[in-house]
Amino acid sequence: MTITKERTLAEIVRKDFPILHQEVNGKPLVYLDNAATSQKPLAVLDALRNYYEQYNSNVHRGVHTLSGKATDAYEGARVKIAKFVNANLPEEIIYSRNASEAINLVAYAWGLTHLQPGDEIILSVMEHHSNLVPWQLVAKTTGAVLKFVELTPSEEFDLEQYKTLVSNKTKLVSVVHVSNTLGCINPVEEITEIAHKYGAKVLIDACQSTPHLPIDVQKINCDWLVASGHKMCGPTGIGFLYGKEKLLRAMPPFMGGGEMIADVFLENSTYADIPHKFEAGTPAIAEAIGLGAAVDYLSNIGMDKIHAYEAELTAYLFEQLRQIPEIRVYGPQADSTGGNRAALASFTAGNVHPHDLSTILDQAGVAIRAGHHCTQPLHRYIKAQSTARASLYFYNTKEEIDVFIAALREAIEFFGGIFG
Amino acid sequence: MTLGNLRDLYQQVILERYKTPRHKGKTNPVHRYQKGHNPSCGDTIELTLQLSDAGDKILDAKFEGEGCAISMASADLMAEALKGKTVKEALEMVERFQQMMKGEAEFPKELRKLNVMQGVAQFPVRIKCANLTWHALKAALQSSADAESNGFISNEKEEA
Repeated sequence: MTITKERTLAEIVRKDFPILHQEVNGKPLVYLDNAATSQKPLAVLDALRNYYEQYNSNVHRGVHTLSGKATDAYEGARVKIAKFVNANLPEEIIYSRNASEAINLVAYAWGLTHLQPGDEIILSVMEHHSNLVPWQLVAKTTGAVLKFVELTPSEEFDLEQYKTLVSNKTKLVSVVHVSNTLGCINPVEEITEIAHKYGAKVLIDACQSTPHLPIDVQKINCDWLVASGHKMCGPTGIGFLYGKEKLLRAMPPFMGGGEMIADVFLENSTYADIPHKFEAGTPAIAEAIGLGAAVDYLSNIGMDKIHAYEAELTAYLFEQLRQIPEIRVYGPQADSTGGNRAALASFTAGNVHPHDLSTILDQAGVAIRAGHHCTQPLHRYIKAQSTARASLYFYNTKEEIDVFIAALREAIEFFGGIFG
Repeated sequence: MTLGNLRDLYQQVILERYKTPRHKGKTNPVHRYQKGHNPSCGDTIELTLQLSDAGDKILDAKFEGEGCAISMASADLMAEALKGKTVKEALEMVERFQQMMKGEAEFPKELRKLNVMQGVAQFPVRIKCANLTWHALKAALQSSADAESNGFISNEKEEA
């Protein structure tokens, strides 16, 4: 009798990612920098190639056949994304270059026109620079005040402290769903519900959650949500903003130009309806279509399945890291299911500086991130100058975690000799 | 793991200087001060120089900072090599170090200790770690004030 072992998700999908099948520095590539950017499946590469080979044309302009095809594919991708995050309408999805641009869109189009001196914006200390700097700029211009949610002792979002910060002065709460550094999953539904009681609007930075978890904007009930395409198997140069229809309609345009207008006169213009009001100029057509293909790819696997497999990897990763005494992981520890946090670990390794660690791991073919991961204030808060970060995706395997752990041990030993 | 390559990069001298730097601190008095910063990784160096009365010779050099083994060892070795050098010689050393990072030069016998940094040239992404302290030195020598208000020089545009 032959016993056939059930194949893991990674074993099924790895063939879809050509880039994973190569050697780096003479070793098989182990790509653990997925929180920075994910790899792209053939389905996405084919969609890009197919667009440029078969129907490259500008959208919403021409009457000719190719332009019609391009427009259909571009708008079709919007429908896919809307469905993927369970938006009520496709028009609630605005394409942007990336999540930073999407946040800036809200900061400029809504923030500058709605905030008064003394109004309060609540952020958290774990925000990515992209969810800090736009609000610093808006606060400077409008006289609004920034308030910050801190961390619990287990280095998670302090919901109790948040409750003490929210008041009638709060006009906006803008927080991250999953921290790119701590890996904690923030209670965004509860955060939103509390903010709404005070009439405040809520923006969720979902860059690190959309690629890994099922996202339901109606269930979260947030006013805006931003995500980045390249972290979810899509191309670079494309991200999106979800916004509630009424709110988007009431917001003035962000940038002026072609595509976003209805009638243009020399002295003034009327604007297009949403979503095009916010999409000035020729958009990233191929990239939007590519993101649509990425969404199809993820949906075909199923986000629940992706999350379940990643949870299994997370539990295994943390189990292995716990056995190395020099390792200090930031953020909440993984529970036995691994499902209580994101599939990443930011850590320090005793006396080995994260950069040196990254160089040594690179020699073993293992790609990790070292630095401040665009969360400098958080690193100051947790008193780490920089950290190393291994971040997983559904195409990673337990065997790759083993290679990473072995290389990590060697690196610590290599440096440990001198400090021992 | 290709330890051979890594041994070239992390020579014993580099690891020792990282563990026990010999020129950490602040010169007394401080005639030149320059902060160097790698925004992409967060490494920082605060370099101080004590000059001769005429201002044309470096009597002492020290550094404070936080960073990887490469950036810290590079700063420590540089501080040592600078003692007694004229400002002109020091600026020539900056040029030579940067050439060395491209694999195009090395230091003569009397400054051969600096050649332990040569292995970095094989790791292009780490060149800016090694160069940070030398960039700070160049800025310090080209500034006339001793004030701490020079701001900081950023290593971000480093061609690697």
